[in-house]
Amino acid sequence: MARLARPADGGAAVPLGSWPGSLFGLGMAAPPMHGDFEAQRHWMEITAHLPVKDWYWHDLEWWGLDYPPLTAYHSWVLGIIGDSINPAWFALHDSRGSDDPALKTFMRASAIASELVTYIPAAVIFVRLYGRESAMSKYDKAVALAAILLQPALMLIDHGHFQYNAVMLGLTVLALDCFLTDHIYWGSFFFVLSLGFKQMALYYAPAVFAYLLGLCVFPHINVLRLIMLGITVVASFALVFAPLIVLGGREQLGQSLFRMFPFARGLWEDKVANFWCAANVAVKFRERFDSGLLQKASLVATLLAILPPCVILFLTPSKRLLPLALSATAWGFFLFSFQVHEKSVLLPLMPITLYLAASLDRDVVAWISWMNNLAMFSMWPLLQRDGLVLQYGVMSLLYAWLMGTFENLPRGWVGRLIHVGSYMAVLGLHVGEYMVGRVERWPDLWVVAGVEVCFGGFVVAWLWVLGALWRESRREGEKWKRE
Amino acid sequence: MDKFHPSLRECAIAATAFKLLLKSTDFEVHRNWLAITHSLPAKQWYFEKTSEWTLDYPPFFAAFEWCLSQIAKFFDPRMLEVDNLGYESVQTVYFQRLSVIVTELTLVYALQRYINTAPETSKRSAHAAALSILLSPALLIIDHIHFQYNGFMYGILLLSLVLARSPSTRLVSGLLFAVLLCTKHIYLYLAPAYFVFLLRAYCLGPDSVLNVRFGNVVKLGTGVLGIFAAAFAPFVYWGQMSQVLSRLFPFSRGLCHAYWAPNVWAMYSFTDRVLIHVAPRLGLAVDQSAVNSVTRGLVGDTAFAVLPDISPRTTFLLTLFFQALCLAKLFVQPTPDTFLGAVTLCGFASFLFGWHVHEKAILLVIIPFSLLALKDRRYLGAFRPLAVAGHVSLFPLLFTAPEFPLKTLYTVAWLLVFLSAFDKLAPVALDRRRFLLDRPETLFIVVSIPLVVYTEVVHGLVFGERYQFLPLMFTSSYSAFGVVGSWIGFSWLYFTG
Repeated sequence: MARLARPADGGAAVPLGSWPGSLFGLGMAAPPMHGDFEAQRHWMEITAHLPVKDWYWHDLEWWGLDYPPLTAYHSWVLGIIGDSINPAWFALHDSRGSDDPALKTFMRASAIASELVTYIPAAVIFVRLYGRESAMSKYDKAVALAAILLQPALMLIDHGHFQYNAVMLGLTVLALDCFLTDHIYWGSFFFVLSLGFKQMALYYAPAVFAYLLGLCVFPHINVLRLIMLGITVVASFALVFAPLIVLGGREQLGQSLFRMFPFARGLWEDKVANFWCAANVAVKFRERFDSGLLQKASLVATLLAILPPCVILFLTPSKRLLPLALSATAWGFFLFSFQVHEKSVLLPLMPITLYLAASLDRDVVAWISWMNNLAMFSMWPLLQRDGLVLQYGVMSLLYAWLMGTFENLPRGWVGRLIHVGSYMAVLGLHVGEYMVGRVERWPDLWVVAGVEVCFGGFVVAWLWVLGALWRESRREGEKWKRE
Repeated sequence: MDKFHPSLRECAIAATAFKLLLKSTDFEVHRNWLAITHSLPAKQWYFEKTSEWTLDYPPFFAAFEWCLSQIAKFFDPRMLEVDNLGYESVQTVYFQRLSVIVTELTLVYALQRYINTAPETSKRSAHAAALSILLSPALLIIDHIHFQYNGFMYGILLLSLVLARSPSTRLVSGLLFAVLLCTKHIYLYLAPAYFVFLLRAYCLGPDSVLNVRFGNVVKLGTGVLGIFAAAFAPFVYWGQMSQVLSRLFPFSRGLCHAYWAPNVWAMYSFTDRVLIHVAPRLGLAVDQSAVNSVTRGLVGDTAFAVLPDISPRTTFLLTLFFQALCLAKLFVQPTPDTFLGAVTLCGFASFLFGWHVHEKAILLVIIPFSLLALKDRRYLGAFRPLAVAGHVSLFPLLFTAPEFPLKTLYTVAWLLVFLSAFDKLAPVALDRRRFLLDRPETLFIVVSIPLVVYTEVVHGLVFGERYQFLPLMFTSSYSAFGVVGSWIGFSWLYFTG
């Protein structure tokens, strides 16, 4: 982390780069206003104007609500606020596809405000706690925090493509903060809130479950704790769904769950760098097998992939292992599960970037920034469709430069080979796509080639995280024995 | 390896990344100039008036646009057509934004040179001052959002100021300034300081003013004349000088610019507005035809209802008078620091008393002042209200909703970071007396918060589109206080120091 890791001058170094950095989104050129921006806006429109019982039923063809209730409540609050500023922004039916610049400003401000109250404070607390455990200097903690908050993939998805992932991620980080301070019930509560905001947080659920279960079993079995945790989780879920059911009726529960988990959609939608899409070049899964079988296959594959990190965490339920275990589990989901979206790469990425608060060792920094760089590339088709080419280029290069990617490779020749090879491949694909353009015979050539490169890289990333988790768990285990 | 971090180069890279992500608005002026210089012979440059944005910069700037147009044609030749008004293809926009970012490298170069040549004891301060200029929100707002080439030209000015410090490069400094004058004539405001300094420190002997160094006089004289000849001789030859001058000095415009730069005339206008309501009780005559004119805030004549009208001659004489005061001291004591002070005061005088001053001319003051602000705490005390007022006064330039959070957050971040860094770096003054402006200064800075909240948010919510002159008037009157206060404080230090 060459750039960020130098001593500060006059206190001017880190403030320039840290949280104002997350506001870069403001300056971004207008992204296209349909797609996710319209989805979010539309949810504010329907939640602000329709009774609760219609939220999950209203005109499902046009961006029907398909996130859990906390997203709906969040949309409702923003819709009410926005409606009081300008009723035209969220007028029922008439506001569809609106791209009023003032509305954009409102929406952007809302994304930043949501991030400011969830993700940013949670990350600040996390770095303090985790950095203290790792005996990091104050300055290194500031650097790690800057590296976490400037993560370009999250910034571009939330403020360019437009979503509120930082809220879901922030609630998970908040849960981690609670776990780090041994507040396991509060931690479970916040994790349920995270799930209640976006079901994507399920990628972390097995690891969190394994951790909590491990705490109930080791060093000695604690049944009371297990029961209390169960009650906390059930009560938290009840709390999340209560307003929906009380105000909308019992049938809302089934409908919202049905909307959240659309198994009818198929193995994948857009090309994404996971196993199914990458192997599709050789085996045409969707044509050769029926959907039910594929669902089962992906379920088994995912379970196998997440088993190792969950077992390690269960046997060594140490809070130090949480970021690595969460990342490893999320990589497992991303690589093998059903219905994965490019954006889901944010899930394994967030905890592994948090891991910078454990160490700013050259090797660790090189690997984590490599994952971030590759993840950015994996979202290239999505960002290109959104018209965020410039932002993609600038943010990728800026982050890579800040993290010292250009001058810092991992130790060991295998790692170096992988890093240099993948960077060359990324560069080659960009240059090739630009020079050659669309190839008639293989219209998806560049996207598919990108998927193959990223899949290869992500498998390596998953293995690296698993390796780091294994080593860390051994260290923790020995520490326990000594104590 | 640079000694201080983040280094200028690192900041320049990060700032460039940030600037690439911004969106600019007013391209049309410079697109039109690209078109004029590219597709018309030089003979017609100053006559062309298809667009309302006629060429009104000196010939070197026109030549600069011509050079840019040679590259622009590879991006999109359609932007170079004179009658293609308001053309904004993606290539045009990208080309123009890139041209600003690339030409701004002169600023980076000048600042790096400034740091390198600073004496060892004040290198740290020089570094902080250089970063503050490089990351200046004023340049960000004016150049990268509002779209102009100030960074490029202030780079040349700074280079010239840096070169003026050392006797061996003083000639180059003078010549560079002559080039700058032929590029943008707003720098004429600073020319008196250059004239006196070069005369005294380069053309006359160090000990006696009677000891004329003829060699230096010839070198500087022929150099400067040659530069002006290169710029203007063709137009003299074609007999177009009166046309060129009428474009460069449009005295037909009003006393105040549309948004009222925060100077003495803004305070004067404000007083007049207040007097309209008070005058009947005091028995003063009110000119009814003038009552409605300023409220519209249009470019044009500013008529006063109660106070006497101001003529260009008055403003000119006032400016000259206040400049002469500081030049007298410079003549007696021609040191590099006095020179910088004199440049700053010339900027102040012309900004405060000039005719039709644009609010962005505040950079003429802020930039040379930045180089002095860290001399000691008293200087910093005079600099602070200027930094706040100068930047707040630029806010009305960007008035759309998406620009609001950007300009305010960036400016507030800049003020917090640099004013606190400056605070740590500025040494305690040798003269331990408490500076008389300390308390009012803090109050002044605090008042900016409710002011910005009112002008940017509350006014729009309460009045909507009505009374648009009100926030503008508040902003410029408020800022005028800061600028005038800073001017008085700095003058005090300059004349007593």
